[in-house]
Amino acid sequence: MKVTVVSRSGREVVKGGIDLKDSAKVADLQEAIHARTKKYYPSRQRLTLPLQPGKGGKPVVLSPKASLSEYCEKGSGSLTVVFKDLGPQVYYSTLFFFEYLGPLIIYPMFYYLPVYKFFGYEGERVIHPVQTYAMYYWCFHYFKRIMETFFVHRFSHATSPLSNVFRNCAYYWTFGAYIAYYCNHPLYTPVSDLQMKIGFGFGILCQIANFYCHILLRNLRNPSGSGGYQIPRGFLFNIVTCANYTTEIYQWIGFNIATQTVAGYIFLVVAASIMTNWALGKHSRLKKASLFDGKDGRPKYPRRWVIFPPFL
Amino acid sequence: MAGVGSAVRRLYLSVYNWVVFFGWAQVLYYAVLALRETGHEAVYAAVERPLQLAQTAAIMEILHGLVVYFLIGLVRSPVSATLPQIGSRLFLTWGVLWSFPETQSHILVSSLVISWSITETIRYSFFGMKEAFGSAPSWLLWLRYSTFMLLYPTGITSEVGLIYIALPYMKASEKYCLRMPNKWNFSYDYYYSSLLALLIYVPGSPHMYRYMLSQRKKALSKAKAA
Repeated sequence: MKVTVVSRSGREVVKGGIDLKDSAKVADLQEAIHARTKKYYPSRQRLTLPLQPGKGGKPVVLSPKASLSEYCEKGSGSLTVVFKDLGPQVYYSTLFFFEYLGPLIIYPMFYYLPVYKFFGYEGERVIHPVQTYAMYYWCFHYFKRIMETFFVHRFSHATSPLSNVFRNCAYYWTFGAYIAYYCNHPLYTPVSDLQMKIGFGFGILCQIANFYCHILLRNLRNPSGSGGYQIPRGFLFNIVTCANYTTEIYQWIGFNIATQTVAGYIFLVVAASIMTNWALGKHSRLKKASLFDGKDGRPKYPRRWVIFPPFL
Repeated sequence: MAGVGSAVRRLYLSVYNWVVFFGWAQVLYYAVLALRETGHEAVYAAVERPLQLAQTAAIMEILHGLVVYFLIGLVRSPVSATLPQIGSRLFLTWGVLWSFPETQSHILVSSLVISWSITETIRYSFFGMKEAFGSAPSWLLWLRYSTFMLLYPTGITSEVGLIYIALPYMKASEKYCLRMPNKWNFSYDYYYSSLLALLIYVPGSPHMYRYMLSQRKKALSKAKAA
């Protein structure tokens, strides 16, 4: 079949189009475009069907595993696709690794190195036990995240735009330094022993729960990465859609109860609002009419909290 | 109901815009008067009250923008463009000029106040006309979308200059600072926050200028087509 590849402004991206076997898949088309354009490797390409003039709505994105013939007009042997360059891409695992590496290295720097001399604090620094435990807790948390990135998570998209590396690293690294500065400060005021134990104990429990949530989510996707949505089940997922975010937020609450810094609480609020945004999107995608509405023999998405029982 | 609603909205916005217009017209008048009769050192004292009133009233505009999410929609300017503008204005008016009197006699106060008041009298009369009469004369439209090309640079330079001048006084006075140790393990340094604000002007100013340029293109081409 003949495939015409145009940009959103109508210009031909691949002059003369591409000829492929009728049985070809979208992935084959992407390889062919890459062969003809050098710069645009497959993960950079976003291919959609042209929007019908006058009709609104979002364009249909071509799925790499699907057959090209699924997208053809019935009977015709040709197809026009609209091409969009997503910009340079990095693997999600690469992105996560670098954004988590920052806090993992930066926080201990404030603990071990004489950083505060540069802020004008001379003399010996007394280190309270809670500050040591906080450092271990924090580093374990980010180490766990890195391990999960490589061994647990199955990503729906393989790649993310390169610009996200800068944006995400700025977020994690800046907040990491901001919190580390106060938690390791020479004039740090610790909370009571009991409060510290409650905070860290609760936080560790939530981290374990969070890990289990990640395992459950992993098992929803099959290894070939064929994607598609499943209803999460088991453990906390029976009551809340995004139990993984819930446990993550609670885990930060535990850390803040133990360390009590305004910087830590600011981070908690920002992180919680970002995750809540994601949770609302995920929840509404799962409830969406065409997937889990209980009609046509499809399972109905059960009534559940979105992220934060009993509020949301 | 819809008819009454939009009439109320129009009346409210007309009154708001014209009232604030008169505030800024006062600022401009007193500033120029003081400049001519006495000198630049006297400008601040002459404009302080109307300046504080007119500038602080602009907080209402954040509300107007926010109301978009809840009601029919009051104004069209995005919060992302109005917030930095109002933020920097309030910072200068209250956080620099009012808080550190040592800055008030500087000549940059005159350039600041004149840049702001010319821009605002044009802007508020433009919106006031649109709300009250349905449209604004084309010369006012042109002024609204052209004078910024000179007044943004003069205004921003004045803002940056005055913050810079205030820095040593901020450091010495320790005003608005919170020190450790305290129960919440938090500290705040006004001097360093102001330095951060200065840094934000570096990407922020071209962003605002470019935003106005794109608004100008849209507005003037729309007027041409009409």
